[in-house]
Amino acid sequence: MKYCDKCKVKVNTSQSYCPLCHQKLTGEPDLEQEFYPKNVTNIRKILPLTKKILLFITLSSIILILTINLLTYENTPYLWSLIPIGAILYFWSIVRYGILSKQNIAYRLALLTALLIIILNLIDQNFTTVEEAQGWALNYVTPLALFACNLAISFIIWIKRINYREYLIYLITIVVFSVVPVILYYTQVITILWPSIIAFSFAIFILLFIIFFYPKSIKEEIKKRLHI
Amino acid sequence: MSIKKSTDWLRLDNAAKIFPAVTNKKETNTFRVQMELTEVVDSDLLQLATNNILNRFPMFKVRLKLGLFWNYFEKNERPFKIRPLTSKVNEKIIPKENNGYLLKVFYYNNLIVVEFFHSLTDGTGALIFLKALGYEYLTLKGYEITPDNLIVTKDSVPTKDESEDSQSVYYNPHNRKHVKEKKAYMVKGTPLEIGNMGLISGTLPTNKMLELARSHNCTVTEYMSAVLIQTIYNTQIKYRGHLRENQKPVKIFIPINMRKHFPSNTFRNFAIFLKTDLVMTRDDISFDEILTHVKESFSKGLDKDELIRKISENVAFEKNLFLRTAPYFIKLIALKIGFAMIGNSLITSTISNMGIVQLPESMQPYVKNVSAAIYSGKKNPVNIAVTSYKDKFNITFTRSIKETIIEREFFRHFTSLGFEVEIVSNYVEE
Repeated sequence: MKYCDKCKVKVNTSQSYCPLCHQKLTGEPDLEQEFYPKNVTNIRKILPLTKKILLFITLSSIILILTINLLTYENTPYLWSLIPIGAILYFWSIVRYGILSKQNIAYRLALLTALLIIILNLIDQNFTTVEEAQGWALNYVTPLALFACNLAISFIIWIKRINYREYLIYLITIVVFSVVPVILYYTQVITILWPSIIAFSFAIFILLFIIFFYPKSIKEEIKKRLHI
Repeated sequence: MSIKKSTDWLRLDNAAKIFPAVTNKKETNTFRVQMELTEVVDSDLLQLATNNILNRFPMFKVRLKLGLFWNYFEKNERPFKIRPLTSKVNEKIIPKENNGYLLKVFYYNNLIVVEFFHSLTDGTGALIFLKALGYEYLTLKGYEITPDNLIVTKDSVPTKDESEDSQSVYYNPHNRKHVKEKKAYMVKGTPLEIGNMGLISGTLPTNKMLELARSHNCTVTEYMSAVLIQTIYNTQIKYRGHLRENQKPVKIFIPINMRKHFPSNTFRNFAIFLKTDLVMTRDDISFDEILTHVKESFSKGLDKDELIRKISENVAFEKNLFLRTAPYFIKLIALKIGFAMIGNSLITSTISNMGIVQLPESMQPYVKNVSAAIYSGKKNPVNIAVTSYKDKFNITFTRSIKETIIEREFFRHFTSLGFEVEIVSNYVEE
């Protein structure tokens, strides 16, 4: 074993200096290998080039659209550029949270649906100029998107039986939200009934299905997620 | 669906709740325990042993999931993979890269290393796991060894009290006064690159350590705390007491294993800490003076009422109605801000004495040493973990700074008393 005559300690290493005082060690090493693996310097992860290029194109197109919008502001005095910018951002969310995310599929679907509903409603609120068409996002898109999401998650749960418990909470969330359009109809915020009714009745159907066939899981799942 | 049991998920225990919120690359809240065998570790057998043992420890075979109010542990069914050891010590455990698991098992030459995220357990729980893993490995290897009631074997049945949150059992709602604390002195040094951690471990003879402590009428932990305080004082504060940052007290943070004070059998977190608290602005503080102070701090901190008060203070915080009913992302922000403001600035350094590791007689010939290491962060750049196994008393320093002066002076204190010290380092220098 090596020895440091300054610190008066034995050092179990094949290195030539003392880790405590950095002076020279005497003696021969016992081991062929180090006690701990050799230190390798950190390798920094570089953002992949494609991601960089895509990000660059996205940002420059956003700036370009904004610039054109502002330059032609006198002719078209509203911020129409927000629509394509919203679309671009939504596209990025699809890539980031929809495709590249490792979260479970139900979470991704629920998140993207929620984002889509929010974006389309914002567009509707701010840019729909034709009187009769106003409210299209709330009337049609919101309930039908919820319906589609509900359908998709139920379908996935039905096919991928193994992990269904993980997905339940998202299904329940969507089911709960499907009630909202019906309430909105009765408070007369929206005027078209049939999309809301479709979403609502399908949600009730799914809820009953869960209650009848997975009663314990749903109780457990809610307890787990909501314990305080 | 009726076979699902309530053991599928666990609440985080009181101590565990804070860690996920305050963990990052610098403050990793990870610690390791390791077993050095007398022969090279066979990775395939170790993988097999790990699989067997993880099934026996359902409280560790989990992943962290997000709830609306708190996160929780959910049973993890994905495969667990052991890996070769690298030079990185107590790196942040990223669940995504680890199939969701919050612990890692490594092998290297004769070493079996297990690193735990602190939410799972404390040092005692980790050592129970390591001993079980070592035992299982050696059994698979074909050696005739017996558990002798010292080892949790894979055939025993997990009980409920093993995954109990003991703090919420032994608290007392009438003794929970909150005590305000002053900020502590911070050890100075040049930070190492983030993610690197220096490790220097010294092995001393156990019986001589015990004798030395006995001759000073104190325990080994008390003695080491005093030596550490003296080292910090000599190298960084002495004759510099007039500087403003040196007027803060030196506070050594010492976790106490509560299983020794309460009849708990939990494998999860159950440790309460005590702190020494000494302002060192004078230029002539002697070792005896420091030791007297340390002994006082210990007897005050180990008082039963004080222990219960600390447990209750923690539990009261958790049971606070406002905190409880706030959605988790709000809690997260609150905890992060709170921790950034105070958190680690109340500690100068930590000495975690995980105590004597007892192995069955029949297993001892195959195990050379058992030691531990805790992480060192940005504000507490030098920390110590201690274990003793047979005649080996292991003092393991980890550091997040380049300087090794504290380690050097600490060990030179013992060599000057005629101790034989054997040093091992991972030689992380930058």
